[in-house]
Amino acid sequence: MAGSTAQTSSARSDTPRIRPERWFSVSAVAAGFAAWEMIAAFRLAPPDLLPGPIVVAATFIDVLRNGYRDTTLPQDILATLYRCGAGFLLACAAGIPLGLLMGFRARLRSALDPIVQFMRPLPPLSYLVLLILWLGTGNASKIALLFLSAFPIVVSSATAGVRSVREQKLQVARSLGASDWQVFRFVILPSALPMIFTGARIALAVAFSTVVAAELMAATDGLGWMVFSASHFLRNDIIIMVVILLGLLGMSLNRLMLAADGALIHWRGVE
Amino acid sequence: MRDMISIGRRRALQAAGAAATLPLFSIGRARAAVPDAIRVAFFVETKPTMIAKGEGWFDQMAGARIQWSETGSGAEINTGMAAGSFDIGLAIGSSPTAAGLSQGIPYELIGMVDNIGPAEDMVVRKSDNIRTPADFKGKKVATPFGSTSHFRLLGFLAVNKLTQADVTVLDMNPNAMVAAWTRGDIDAGYVWAPAKSKMLENGGGLFSTYKKLDAAGYVIADLIVAHKAFSQKYPDAVVGFLKAYGRALALWKTKPDDAAQIVAKEAGVTADVARHDMEEYDFVSQKDQLSPEWLGMPGHPGKFTAVLMRTAGFLAQQKSIRSAPGLAVFQKGTNTTFLRRAVSA
Amino acid sequence: MRRHWPALVSLGLILAAWTIATQLDWVSDLFLPGPGEVWSALIDLLQNGYKSRSLWAHAGLSLQRVFGGFVIGAAAGTLLGLAMGYNRKIEALFSPFIEFLRPLPQLSYLVLLIVWFGIGELPQILLLFLTALPVSAVAAMDGVRSTSVQRLQVARTLGASEWQIFRHVVLPSALPEIFTGARLAIGVVYATLIAAEIIAGSTGLGWMILDAGRFLRSDYVFVGIILIGFMGLALDRILLATERRVVHWAGKA
Repeated sequence: MAGSTAQTSSARSDTPRIRPERWFSVSAVAAGFAAWEMIAAFRLAPPDLLPGPIVVAATFIDVLRNGYRDTTLPQDILATLYRCGAGFLLACAAGIPLGLLMGFRARLRSALDPIVQFMRPLPPLSYLVLLILWLGTGNASKIALLFLSAFPIVVSSATAGVRSVREQKLQVARSLGASDWQVFRFVILPSALPMIFTGARIALAVAFSTVVAAELMAATDGLGWMVFSASHFLRNDIIIMVVILLGLLGMSLNRLMLAADGALIHWRGVE
Repeated sequence: MRDMISIGRRRALQAAGAAATLPLFSIGRARAAVPDAIRVAFFVETKPTMIAKGEGWFDQMAGARIQWSETGSGAEINTGMAAGSFDIGLAIGSSPTAAGLSQGIPYELIGMVDNIGPAEDMVVRKSDNIRTPADFKGKKVATPFGSTSHFRLLGFLAVNKLTQADVTVLDMNPNAMVAAWTRGDIDAGYVWAPAKSKMLENGGGLFSTYKKLDAAGYVIADLIVAHKAFSQKYPDAVVGFLKAYGRALALWKTKPDDAAQIVAKEAGVTADVARHDMEEYDFVSQKDQLSPEWLGMPGHPGKFTAVLMRTAGFLAQQKSIRSAPGLAVFQKGTNTTFLRRAVSA
Repeated sequence: MRRHWPALVSLGLILAAWTIATQLDWVSDLFLPGPGEVWSALIDLLQNGYKSRSLWAHAGLSLQRVFGGFVIGAAAGTLLGLAMGYNRKIEALFSPFIEFLRPLPQLSYLVLLIVWFGIGELPQILLLFLTALPVSAVAAMDGVRSTSVQRLQVARTLGASEWQIFRHVVLPSALPEIFTGARLAIGVVYATLIAAEIIAGSTGLGWMILDAGRFLRSDYVFVGIILIGFMGLALDRILLATERRVVHWAGKA
């Protein structure tokens, strides 16, 4: 099934490890910042093209205090997170049940799978205009975009999760006289959960990286909007600041999901 | 009818909310229909539109709170209008307007912001020594596709018998163009302020094309359009909106320095830049807009409808729109009843 | 054929619903062009091209960019990932940057790349390179880490050199992960490419969709979307087939 091994592999690797090498990482990041400041200080690049970290930090404080073009920074951050979260949660709410169902029913699966597989590689920005046309310029079209980008991933992983349950387990359960519901609740669901969760994690990552694209057209707030708006006014310091913010947010979201995944593994016990 | 489906949905929701409070207001207000809010799509630019916005005249004279949506292009306004997200489009270019009317987007032309004239033109590199149109062969010219500048540039190529094999036309939005210009990636650009001024400051020279192109019929203008569902229901608000713009125009004519100050503040530029940019436009007075030269009186559409038709024809040739409709569509799509009321009041 | 009938039924239903919706004019042409219109738009594009370039030319340019960015990015990423998998210090050095870069929305730093490197192919390829790099690096690193410890010990006791161990134990073990990483990478690269063409391009399928969308030519937009979808699907399948062959061969080690 597409991407299933990747899901488990990235689960393993992204787990942040607390190791003695940590100081190595810290110094690498520090060195990066130092190099950046050098470039700016020695004017190796035009200052308005590449403002140094100190300038960007000052911009951050300024935007935090005075906002950007009639929006406040918290407002923009929340707007972006809201769209991302709403799209993702809707995708899970619709995708997990559908995926589970498709895992069970072979006919349903072969009927709907081609559609899901077609949606998967489809770049979200290609149909944004259509969504705006159909749903207007407000949040609905953006959330719909994020929903559509996350949905096929959730469905695929839920389907794969169900299908990965070993046949023996099912037989054992059935021979012990378990009802269909009990089989589902106590055998299938726990076995499928890891895959479902990994799928959700990837879907959230995809939704997050798409949220900037969603704010490309017809947006009046949000971090993505800030980037595009700042580019109109040639405020590269703001662009860099938002890029750093987005990176940190993305990292945090990823770690949050990994922590939740870890907690789930504990609960699951040894598989 | 079918185009208004999404409008109907939105309005239905608003109506439901309003209905809850209706009993309180119905007694006195039964007559004049006033919207709760007017959704206006606009651009941040150095034009008198910014005066009426900044001073709150639009809100006051239209009689309702304005919900401002900043857009990036006329195309975005079209998309938003088609989706039912906007009531009024402020300073939408004639090129996207022609496209919109051709494709049945349910809005109507209610007034002009300006006749563009010299405000959008070609900037070339002084060092390239370009004297005649033929010198453009082999050059890279950038312009924002779908805009009035794009329309003029294509007109320039057509009038001078140049093809897109001779001249490479690149799609760039204004700030990307400035960056590309500074880096030397492009040889020329057809665009408006502030990008135009920045390029001129940076080793650029003006290669003036507008007189010839205007004469050849490639007239471009910035217009005001209103969604039909909105204008039919709230004609008074539309009239008030136009009056507010008329007031801003009057301020520019009588007190240009004050006007420039206000525009500068709204657009985030210096007053000098604002003043210089505005001086390049031909701000047709609202009274003149009603003359046969431009939009004409209600029932007697003026020459500008023919300009729109020609624009559409050109776009159809470019395959940007499927087909160009006849003059009647543009005549019916122009409604100057509101403008007349605004001027006479 | 028998196996596929449910898929055909669902596709048929969609086609039917689509045709009915447009025939009955439930939705205007602008929003939803009918299947007939999309078909004639496709023929039109095939015959006359789009804005002085043939459809194949646009598609070809898009593919070129995908491969350019993907191949360089995946190759560099895989090498980096292998190194990171072997050496904890290298991992510690690079992992903060990888962890930062990976979830970073591509469009946000595309704007920067354009400002710094101008228009043209460079910022687009650079963007795709940076998109593919972290995905491949993480996958390769995982692949190395997942090598069975026993096998390593066995190889060592048999006196194999480091290079031999890498070539015959680690690499084959890591290949499935590397390939899955490559498939993930090409997926993200592909999505990013369209976005890059939409923002900074004058050619390519992505740009075509944007340009057609400007004037609400939904028929061209639909053709573009369907083509992009199938191209993406094809790319994924090609990689899958390649993976099966290579891993199959490697698995025999």
